[in-house]
Amino acid sequence: MVRSKATVVASCIALVALVLSGGVGRTAGAATVEEIALMNRADRQKILVEGAKKEGKISWYTTLIVDQVVRPVKEAFEKEYPFLQVEFFRGNAERLVQKMFAEYQAKRYDVDIIDGTVSPTMVRRANLLQRFYSPVFADYPAELKDSQGYWGSTNLYFFATGYNTNMVKANEVPKTYEDLLNPRWKGQMMWSTSRGSGAPIMIGTILNTMGAEAGKAYLQKLKAQNIAKSTASNRQILDLTIAGEYPLALHIFNHHAYISKSAGAPVDWQPHEPVTATIQTIALAKNTPHPHAAMLLLDFVMSEKGQKVFQQANYLPSHPKVPAKQADLKPGGGRFKRAYYIDPDVQYDKGNEWVEYFNNVFMK
Amino acid sequence: MAKHPSTQAYDFSLKSAGARATRNAAALGAALHFDVVTCVMIAVLLVTGYLVLPPLYSVVQTSLFTTRLTGEIDQFTLQYYRNLLSELRVLGPLLNTLYFSLGASLLATLLGGSVAWIVTRTDAPLRGLGYFTAFASFGTPFILYTIGWLLLLGKAGPINSWLKAWLDQSGPVINVYSLLGMIFIESLLWSPFVFLMLAAAFRSMDPSLEEASAVCGARLWQTMRRVSLRLMLPAFFSVVLLIFIRSFESFEIPALVGLPGDIRVLTTSIYLDAQKLPPQYGNAGAFSVLLMFIVAATLYLYFRITREGDRFHTVTGKGYRPTVIHLGRWRYLAASGLFLYSVVLLVLPFLIILWASLLPFYIQPSFEALGKFTLKNYITALHFPKITDSIKNSILLGLGSASAVMVLTLFASWLLVRTKIRGRWLLDLLTTLPLLFPGIVMGLAILRFYLLVPIPVYGTLWILWIAFVTRYIPYGIRYTHSGLLQLHKELEEASYVSGASWSGSMRRIVLPLITPSFLGGWVFIFLLSAKELSMSVLLVSPQTPVVSVAIFELWENAQVGELAAFGVIWSAILVSVAIVYYLIARRYGVQQS
Repeated sequence: MVRSKATVVASCIALVALVLSGGVGRTAGAATVEEIALMNRADRQKILVEGAKKEGKISWYTTLIVDQVVRPVKEAFEKEYPFLQVEFFRGNAERLVQKMFAEYQAKRYDVDIIDGTVSPTMVRRANLLQRFYSPVFADYPAELKDSQGYWGSTNLYFFATGYNTNMVKANEVPKTYEDLLNPRWKGQMMWSTSRGSGAPIMIGTILNTMGAEAGKAYLQKLKAQNIAKSTASNRQILDLTIAGEYPLALHIFNHHAYISKSAGAPVDWQPHEPVTATIQTIALAKNTPHPHAAMLLLDFVMSEKGQKVFQQANYLPSHPKVPAKQADLKPGGGRFKRAYYIDPDVQYDKGNEWVEYFNNVFMK
Repeated sequence: MAKHPSTQAYDFSLKSAGARATRNAAALGAALHFDVVTCVMIAVLLVTGYLVLPPLYSVVQTSLFTTRLTGEIDQFTLQYYRNLLSELRVLGPLLNTLYFSLGASLLATLLGGSVAWIVTRTDAPLRGLGYFTAFASFGTPFILYTIGWLLLLGKAGPINSWLKAWLDQSGPVINVYSLLGMIFIESLLWSPFVFLMLAAAFRSMDPSLEEASAVCGARLWQTMRRVSLRLMLPAFFSVVLLIFIRSFESFEIPALVGLPGDIRVLTTSIYLDAQKLPPQYGNAGAFSVLLMFIVAATLYLYFRITREGDRFHTVTGKGYRPTVIHLGRWRYLAASGLFLYSVVLLVLPFLIILWASLLPFYIQPSFEALGKFTLKNYITALHFPKITDSIKNSILLGLGSASAVMVLTLFASWLLVRTKIRGRWLLDLLTTLPLLFPGIVMGLAILRFYLLVPIPVYGTLWILWIAFVTRYIPYGIRYTHSGLLQLHKELEEASYVSGASWSGSMRRIVLPLITPSFLGGWVFIFLLSAKELSMSVLLVSPQTPVVSVAIFELWENAQVGELAAFGVIWSAILVSVAIVYYLIARRYGVQQS
């Protein structure tokens, strides 16, 4: 009895010590998560592979579409490193982050990698990201990687106006933001209320690119156009346009329109310069349980090889040297020149204002 | 005690026939099962409290504190209640909410109730259609069902273009993005719930009351109005209350159907506000706390009304199978009503979903479009990651939750109806509260709870099961409560007098007699749990995928055809399981119907 009590006390002390030392699964003499993540030396790859062999798996919290891109990436990666298994949990940004926060509060460190247009930023604000170094960072321009190494980028999203080609004649297609104010479109447009991809983002682009004064004046005129709002996703709003409910779908993903058009649907997309763009970022969790394997995956998804998987899945790769499968979906591909990249930090900090602006102006 | 002439006659006959026997039996029964009752009470309270109180605490806390980015409680605030007040001061959304909830609950009750009456009480042909329609329409994923109606009634949809041609109009005739559109779709969604509950109630009806009414010269219509329908008061109350609350706090239909037409309800701003980062659910929390007070008051009143529960007993020791009403020539009218209901509730939305699932992209119904038919969407749907695991998990969860909820609430209702323990309306309140918890707040509460307590359910199916059981207790309690109110206690007492134990009486008397309610509730919860989303998205793990989350993923990211194909497959599986269960349970149940 006494002995078992002593054992319990001893194991409690050991547990507390383990928690205080901040390392779960960390053994004396081994490199810390931070050391592994920031490692920049000639034998980096070798060390990562050796460590990853012991770890065996990676847990990836993703906002990407499993069927379209996560599975192909997983397959390609596991082919490259057959000793690793990629497990993924898919959800929208808010839920992924909440799940991770709740787990971290309970000191349950499951997640290695988290992605999203805004989720890594939220995690970073909670101080739960680990900075990392990857040799492929050198290939990326400044706006597509974090200056301190908190995130890299896998793919981009560009927004455009989608239109039903049976309902909108070629010469009527609104080419500019100004064209959307034409009385012809009053009550004929729909947009999504989604914070991450709908009306608030479009409002943000307008306010930031036109300037606050001119932007607000423009948005007041846009309000008079009676745009229908829906909580449906951008994809569904485009489908309603294909079905003929509304001739114009504002601020939809250009690759969605392209995919439907390729299938024969009466739809096309029209960019308004500068085109809003959001960045799919990817980041490393602070207490990643499989740091070596996680670094290998981060390297892979941003490498040219990994980016080709995104390309083949009809996603728009971030890597400057990897064009889109349909080249004109990216800037400089022939259909538009300028993109306005919304920095994840700006999206996080200003997002609430844009939501508020939308609620106050367009919902009243 | 008795206010209605008919029930007075009934009570009188009971007293004269066996008053003394009943009293003796009651005394004996009380002695016999006192300990059992206490045990059951403690067990039911413990289980219900364990399930309901942690999320309740969380909801109240959410409404009173700001949270930090990581979700920890930060500072006390009354801001959320102030927001709610200022929202309530604007008349428009409040009125819209009231019209919407009231309209949906009444129309659903009217629809479901009429069909239940035709199916259970008359000799109209096509009666089997009622059950099938209810199961099949309720088994269709919620989002898909709504989308189906939007496509049908949309500006460019087939119904509008047909009406346009017929009425020679230039613009669309029906505007679905309106208050009426919202009420229509919401009430269709809820009418299977009404049907299942009222069908159970109608089937257990003391024929002597109606016969007495008929003997006294009342016509069929008068008997229905003054006897039958009044006896159904507890069941009616249950359905109206439940649908009213659900509509009041729902944001799916208001968002998808109302918002495009600028119809705002109280939950619209809560929904839009919840998009802010870091997420704050205080407004949603305050809204549900307000609803809790309203519901508590309503339940207390209801409890006072049904306290003299004897008035609603329709199943007594003297036969309880209602006579079938012969409609004569009217039976064909009743049958066509049934047929129309089936077409509107099931066939139309299902056809449009099927149509969408067979096309590479959505085209309004036309002959030319037939040439584009493809099975591509079905192939995509069948390749959805872990689809077999998802289906298996969802069915397991449905079976598990429906069974657990019905058993738990049967005991809880028995305590509410049969015992005289003071304050038992609190148990009723406790079992109704989960209805009011915002799904996301409840999901987070359960997630955090099981990450903290050392019960290893996190990341398994068990945590989903616990969440589902908690979520669906309110539905179970309404089914079993209204079912038990109809059972006269003389049946149990007779059993005790004959020497049966408490458990024996429960198993051999109570359970068989409330089979219709029990089955109705079971099927409803089984189908409902297959749709649960707001908690599932937080609680699933990579190893425990469920179908509703897969459908949500498709809804957010896939084309409408892929979503439709997946939905068609899933509805077919779900409805088959529900029907098989229902048939087996009826076939091998103690009670033959």
